[in-house]
Amino acid sequence: MAAEITSEPGSKRRVVFGEADVSDFDESAEVPVESMPLRMGPSHPAMHGTIRMALEVDGEKIRTCDIEIGYLHRCFEKEAEAATWTQIFPYTDRLNYVSPMLNNVGYALAVEKLLDIDQKIPERAQYIRVIVGEVSRIADHLTCLGASAMELGAFTVFFYLIKAREWLWELLEEISGARLTHSYVRIGGVVGDIPEGWAAKLLSTLGKVREAIGDADKLLTRNKIFRDRMDGVGIIAKNDAAGWGLTGPVARSTGLDYDVRKDHPYLVYDRFDFDVPVGSTGDNFDRYAVRLEEIRQSMRILEQALARIPDGQILIDDVRVALPAKRETYNSIEAMIAHFKMIMDGLHVPPGEIYSFTEGGNGELGFYIVSDGTGRPWKCRVRPPCFANLAILNKVLPGLFIADVVPTFGMINMIGGECDR
Amino acid sequence: MAESTPTQDLVTVVIDGKEHKLPKGTNLLEACRSVGADVPYFCYHKGLSSPAVCRQCLVDVKGSPKPVPSCYTSVADKMEVTTNSPKILDVRRQMLEFTLLNHPIDCPICDKAGECSLQKHYFDWDSKLARNEGIKVRKAKVVDVGKHIVLDQERCILCTRCIRVCDEVAKAPELTMADRGSHQILTTAPGHRLDNPYSLNTVDVCPVGALTAKDFRFSRRVWELSASPSVCPGCATGCNIEVHVARGEIHRLVPRENPDVNKFWMCDEGRFEYKAVHNNRLLLAQIGGKRAPLDRAVAEAARVLREALAADAKADRKKVGVVFSAGATNEDTHALARLALDGLKFERAYAAGRAFGWSDTILVSADKNPNTVGVQRIVPPPVRTERDLLSDVASGAVDTLLVLSNERLEVEFGKLRALVVLASHRGPLVDAASVALPIATWAESDGTFTNRDGRVQRIHAALGTRGDVMPAWRALALLGSKLSINLAYASAAEVFSDAAARHDFMKDVVFGPPAVPVELRFGGSRG
Repeated sequence: MAAEITSEPGSKRRVVFGEADVSDFDESAEVPVESMPLRMGPSHPAMHGTIRMALEVDGEKIRTCDIEIGYLHRCFEKEAEAATWTQIFPYTDRLNYVSPMLNNVGYALAVEKLLDIDQKIPERAQYIRVIVGEVSRIADHLTCLGASAMELGAFTVFFYLIKAREWLWELLEEISGARLTHSYVRIGGVVGDIPEGWAAKLLSTLGKVREAIGDADKLLTRNKIFRDRMDGVGIIAKNDAAGWGLTGPVARSTGLDYDVRKDHPYLVYDRFDFDVPVGSTGDNFDRYAVRLEEIRQSMRILEQALARIPDGQILIDDVRVALPAKRETYNSIEAMIAHFKMIMDGLHVPPGEIYSFTEGGNGELGFYIVSDGTGRPWKCRVRPPCFANLAILNKVLPGLFIADVVPTFGMINMIGGECDR
Repeated sequence: MAESTPTQDLVTVVIDGKEHKLPKGTNLLEACRSVGADVPYFCYHKGLSSPAVCRQCLVDVKGSPKPVPSCYTSVADKMEVTTNSPKILDVRRQMLEFTLLNHPIDCPICDKAGECSLQKHYFDWDSKLARNEGIKVRKAKVVDVGKHIVLDQERCILCTRCIRVCDEVAKAPELTMADRGSHQILTTAPGHRLDNPYSLNTVDVCPVGALTAKDFRFSRRVWELSASPSVCPGCATGCNIEVHVARGEIHRLVPRENPDVNKFWMCDEGRFEYKAVHNNRLLLAQIGGKRAPLDRAVAEAARVLREALAADAKADRKKVGVVFSAGATNEDTHALARLALDGLKFERAYAAGRAFGWSDTILVSADKNPNTVGVQRIVPPPVRTERDLLSDVASGAVDTLLVLSNERLEVEFGKLRALVVLASHRGPLVDAASVALPIATWAESDGTFTNRDGRVQRIHAALGTRGDVMPAWRALALLGSKLSINLAYASAAEVFSDAAARHDFMKDVVFGPPAVPVELRFGGSRG
């Protein structure tokens, strides 16, 4: 029996059934296939993050990939131009909303450099910023690991890690009043001191978090199902990582040893002893392992910071930068005016421009700010780490299976709020 | 002030280490500010004399043992001035500390907050917290000093600007200082009230919230306002003003500097011109006193006019008239002249407007219309007067009228056969109209007024329009299209250029781009 299948006008291929040996059958040559467009997202149950991937698949194989972002665009940069310098903090909360403290700190540092007061921030405030920042980083990594594990079927791990994240967020809530959108940092320091007994609570919580990631480690690291989905999948070369501007755990997984905290120390990071883990192959498992280790390193920083935090002020003593105390505001015209001008006009940042960058949860979080000397930024551009990290998926995904999209995207850890701004 | 003509004597002055050539006799404070040295001041005002009482503008002049008040000093050759030495900054701060010593903690309830010089200067130059822990000197808080103004003596920083406005601008010395030291107060002269026709200028010049306008008091916070440049429609003087709007409503009119017309001032009467803009407006077209769709109303107006003209032609008489308004812009007037006189060949043109009133030699004109001169120059003679109109209607010499924005006009409506009205407000005229089309007021229009000196001044729309309201020139263009008269104007600028091509007095005037309203919260402190 012979059948003729015509795939394209003019070309005839002959497929013979029952006469030839199966082993002679060259599928790719003989079976005409058309690639199929497959749209993953923007709302897909196995992906966390509102994003659309326009895939072109050949069976299960991805031929091309086109990432479409922008579903969480909130005009952060444009809104910032109409907000006073201080009013921008709540907006920064919503960049990487899993680790808002890190965004708060990054933005505050940029404005402080422009104001030329970055060397005058009280030391206690700098330590507090490091502490809340590292707590946020742990929460960020816990979310990434937990959610990615869940998407590969390991639901238990998700519960363990998200529970641990919740303990940390409760601590941040105690400090700032908000579980998620803290708006805790201010230009010139932080808005309130850490409460009595908070440090001890944090230390005991870190113990529990250590147990939780120990459990996750045991459940995942030598788990064959997990390893099969992660090992050798989504490999990014070191060169590409540098060339595409990748930063953070994604870049470090490729062996690129770049951590802003180490390479361009800010706040008091140069006083702490911690290591920057790097991977070797740049696959999903390396990214998992780097994040797991970074959680442990952040805990090291936290323990040192809590041991060494000095007493003192938490906000710079200058009513042109930081609001005067409420007591003063209600009882003296000087503080009242300062308060009024700060709220209505905004603090005045001298004209100039600055690019200031910190290590966010996903990598180098940069703020490029231009001031025209008024109470509002003329331009407030964000360099979101996961914007660059995400872009490389266009190169990484082709050649992988559809099922590989989930762990690979998960390990890039795209946060829509930050990527789309 | 820095600009100079070759004929002027120039002197060399060093300001903050930089040499500048400035005209001899320039006020030192103006000189400093003109070269970018920000010297703050409370009591100085460009339009008033300098008493040098606030001591805020002190600068160092080489050779002088003490800092000198720059507002009270003229530049001299080889003068070396320092405005930002540590000593001067300290002096500035100390003077502010004195000024703030007894100042009440009123910002949250003070109308001036947001455009207050004291707030601005404290934030810019002092920014030190209070050192005194004593009790502040209390003074009277809500003193009714005049018809339009409330005085808060505690807030007063004793700069005397308001006293000088009364003395020098209004020529009515009604305000004075009383008592001494920290008990010194601003008050009205015995037996007087602050009731001169320019009293509200004292509120404008008050650097703090001591004098507030009863009309604006507590109506809006200033940072919610946005300002559009315009011209006061109150009289033929054409004072330049800013229209302050918040959420589609005008809250106040304030004078805008124009050295050739009103300098820094305007009269109290003019400030209340905005009240009429919002009240009793005609928003939808009417046919015979009943609401009608705009296109039907326009068609009906065209039909009415066509019939009247046909009847005139048949009987060989001239009973159709057009009434111009001295309150309408040059553009609206021109469009009406093109339609009624050039296009429809009406032979009877009347000009009406608000009745004449009081005047003075300062700013107020007797002619209470903003564009009398414009109408005179645009409408070709003969132009009959309002009195002629009344008698012509009464005698039956005219029986059909096309009227532009003369809402208060009252003729013997019963004697008219037809009355087509373009009006912004309701009133007897609209009630009597066969067809009434809603048009924009000055506050919603782009255009120009010609003031009593023949100066063509631009007004900008400060408000959007509601309902079927449109600029009169547009309504006239619509009417023209139904009467086969082509007035294809797309904007006020096009009407203007058409008018400028036909009338010499507008020839060299530049219409200019539309003004984007300035949001006062972004405008910084007006001070």
